[in-house]
Amino acid sequence: MQHDLLAIIPELMLIATALVILLIDPLLPPDGRRGLGYLGVFACAMAGLSTWFLRNEEFTAFNDAISLDRYTIYFKALFLVIAVIAMLLSEKHLELHRRLLGDYYSLILLATVGMMVMTESIDIMTFFVGLELMALASYILAGFFRYDELSVEASLKYFLTGAFASTFVLFGLALLYGITGYTNYQQIGETIAAGNVPGSTLVIAIILVIAGFGFKVGAVPFHNWAPDVYQGSPTPVAAFLSVGPKAAGFAVLIKFMTVILGSESGTWVGLIIAIAIVTMLVGATMALVQRDLKRMLAYSSIAHVGYLLLAISASGEEVAAFASASIMFYLAAYALMNLGAFGVLVYLSNNSSFGNRLDDLAGLGKQFPWAAGILTVFMLSLAGIPPTAGFFAKFYLFAAVVDAGLAWLAMVGALFSLVSAFYYLRVIVYMYMRQPEQELERSGERSFDLNLGLGLAAVGVLLLGLYPSPVLDAAQDALLMVLGF
Amino acid sequence: MFTYQEQIGFPILTVLIFLPTLGGLLMLLMRGRPRWYKTTAMATTAATFILSLVMLARFDSLSANMQFTEKLTWVERLGISYHLGVDGISVLLILLTTLLSAIVIPASWNYVKERELIFFAMFLFLETGMLGVFCARDLFLFYIFWEVMLIPMYFIIGVWGGPRRIYAAIKFFLFTLAGSLLMLIAIVAIAYIAREGPFSTPVFDMDLLESAVFSSSVQYWAFLAFFIAFAVKVPMWPVHTWLPDAHVEAPMAGSVILAGVLLKVGGYGILRICLPFFPDAAVAYTPYIIILSLIAIIYGAIVSLAQKDLKKLVAYSSVSHMGFVTAGIFAMSVIGIEGAIMVMFSHGLLTGALFLMVGYLYERLHTREIASMGGLAAPFPVMAAFLLFFVLGSLGLPGLSGFVGEFLSLLGVFAYSKVLGAIAATGIILAAAYLLWMFLRVMFLKLRKDEWFELSDFSLREIGTLAPLAALAVWVGVYPNTFLQLIEPPATQLAEKMAPYVAEGSGTLHDIFASLGGF
Repeated sequence: MQHDLLAIIPELMLIATALVILLIDPLLPPDGRRGLGYLGVFACAMAGLSTWFLRNEEFTAFNDAISLDRYTIYFKALFLVIAVIAMLLSEKHLELHRRLLGDYYSLILLATVGMMVMTESIDIMTFFVGLELMALASYILAGFFRYDELSVEASLKYFLTGAFASTFVLFGLALLYGITGYTNYQQIGETIAAGNVPGSTLVIAIILVIAGFGFKVGAVPFHNWAPDVYQGSPTPVAAFLSVGPKAAGFAVLIKFMTVILGSESGTWVGLIIAIAIVTMLVGATMALVQRDLKRMLAYSSIAHVGYLLLAISASGEEVAAFASASIMFYLAAYALMNLGAFGVLVYLSNNSSFGNRLDDLAGLGKQFPWAAGILTVFMLSLAGIPPTAGFFAKFYLFAAVVDAGLAWLAMVGALFSLVSAFYYLRVIVYMYMRQPEQELERSGERSFDLNLGLGLAAVGVLLLGLYPSPVLDAAQDALLMVLGF
Repeated sequence: MFTYQEQIGFPILTVLIFLPTLGGLLMLLMRGRPRWYKTTAMATTAATFILSLVMLARFDSLSANMQFTEKLTWVERLGISYHLGVDGISVLLILLTTLLSAIVIPASWNYVKERELIFFAMFLFLETGMLGVFCARDLFLFYIFWEVMLIPMYFIIGVWGGPRRIYAAIKFFLFTLAGSLLMLIAIVAIAYIAREGPFSTPVFDMDLLESAVFSSSVQYWAFLAFFIAFAVKVPMWPVHTWLPDAHVEAPMAGSVILAGVLLKVGGYGILRICLPFFPDAAVAYTPYIIILSLIAIIYGAIVSLAQKDLKKLVAYSSVSHMGFVTAGIFAMSVIGIEGAIMVMFSHGLLTGALFLMVGYLYERLHTREIASMGGLAAPFPVMAAFLLFFVLGSLGLPGLSGFVGEFLSLLGVFAYSKVLGAIAATGIILAAAYLLWMFLRVMFLKLRKDEWFELSDFSLREIGTLAPLAALAVWVGVYPNTFLQLIEPPATQLAEKMAPYVAEGSGTLHDIFASLGGF
């Protein structure tokens, strides 16, 4: 019993903090609520510390419902980093919109717990509970500015499509349970590999699960919610939503595709390749025509999902450890650079009359040299230009795809990454090479938290680009140890 | 573990590469003090140049081996290391880089009005990228430096360029990136093919890759991918279209570095990677590449004849001159390769100088249109003398540097095919035509405006930036051995490596397509 609880100490810490925040929030005067964010960050730091102490443990808990291993640890650490940066980005923005409430931090922490549970579960029931915890928290977060029409619209859209997606996943899982009789990943996988399951039902289950995950991570043709949700949500929430649920979705997708459906790769590789190509195509071309930066980043994140799916399809091949490790690294790099890019938008809208339009960027290089400078770093990283994390991630991912014998697919990926370079560059063009029609009005709201969050993301992006070894090794070790390659 | 060859007592290549970055970062602390940061920029580039001379002094020019090598494991799991080393070819191009970088700083002393600090810092970061490319002995590192060159140049064109600068900058960036992405995939592919077993680490080390043997279909594909990346940089016809735009819009110093060094990394890459890694494919593609080079030579020259803009004329002449580089390399003889390298070096000196001249003219007249000039020799006699000197050098007058390389390169092509050699030689005649005609229209004929007499002729600063280039041009032209002996061992080694493949005969177009399809 004690052993079981050991595995979820980080989650328990976050849940306890979330509840404490909810309890003391009404007791605080309005300007006393600032401290709640620090409480959340502190909880994440403690959870991170306990994760660090658990890093060499490897066991399953709660009757094989969850497993603690390097793979889970890697993702838990990533989710905590995401949560910390997201909370740091939020405070000032919420205060300026008069929505600085404790609920916000509780929801972020609960969503993080949901992601952790999703990743560590090795049982489809537990997984689904985690998924819903994350999803419900993020629906509310999307609508957190409830006096803002767009925010409410975002929340509703996210909720409706998300509910559909959950249903698909659930139906797929039910079918898997129906044909195999197990809820444990390993056992389902073994039964399927043994070949005693009806093929057509299995195919339907695979399609449903892929469709459900497609919704969650924002792959084409299940992507339509993403631009509206990212545009409408409060910017720090969009930052969080664009990386957290995606990372969790891919963490589970890797497990699903290898542990449960590894033996059936012939069935799904083609499907995933097709989705990956269409996703890159739609993401890259639609991002070209966006004039709103949050929508542009939404389509850009769809394009990035396309690259990640390339690696998922490569993980159907024999040398899968490599492909999955590249996804893990990519997710870490992507999290930092996307949080950073959204973070700069938060910074600009806090400090000026910035309205998230591309045109508002004109002349920013002069007016806000620091913000423009680090936005440049994030854009170059998103475009995959060295020496940034985005470059190494893309390099490693293409390497995995080439290694799996899919060099032509890597070429397709490279082609779309050329297209995508154009819209990332355009941000830089506007900031440094265009004259503004009228300068932004400054309001000069300084925030230490925000600067710290941006600084962390920027340093992380450069550090991962220049010295990727520690994270790379962690990702590879995690897979070698867990998935038994 | 960091190891380096004990040749000079300290890891000189690392210092050489990162000294400019250090200077650039230092400059960023001097916001608002123009005199300070300009002096820092100049001191840094001068120190880098002196350091490269020190390296040259300790360089063993009789050896074809990599020297001053340094190695540090970087990403162990992927077999990536920070591995540097230089041979004669690199040393020559490094000298060119450090010299031109040291010249463009004083040359653009008063050229830009806005955001000067970042302008000068960009050139220092650019220098790091260029030097890194010439020193890298690990393909991953090579690629990093290759891309690091791209960003400062993109900003230099896009921020401080002419009216259509944004178009030119994006075109430059996307053309180069398209090539580099192809190269990236090829790098990954050969690194994984060259490893020992399916689970061992990939091989990015160029020393190891040089001795690896790839199957012919891998060679055909990988050669093509690398070659396209390098051909964009050279630039070869038909992927040269970014060059005129980039040159016309770039500020003077940007053009000098672009023509002087950035085009050379293309030729350098072909010599360093395409030939030694993929000898079979190189031989098979030779006829087509030589024909493309000839088209570049003739087309570049003819288009130059028709230019109205002085800068565009020099830009297209670069396309023509660089044709001699690719033609010489693919002649695959010692003479051809040496010729190609000498053309690169001399083109860096002379075209760099020509772009400086165009810039200085523009600073005075505020136009680059040839038709609006005329009779400038009267108000600017010193400038006319310099221009005549560089024009003569550029058109291949014996006794100046342009002649040496083009002659050797032509000898190489002649040995390959007399007809093609004859066609290539017409490029030199055309060069004389467009350059002399340009000189005539700019400097002689009737003086258009009398108020030009009120403008000053060259200042000491301007003469100081051109004089070293002129002196080197004479040195190379009169006594090329100083430079030839530097590049002879590596050129010979490369030609010897290629000889058996050339003798074996090349694949036909049919073979190429069969292999490409069979991958």
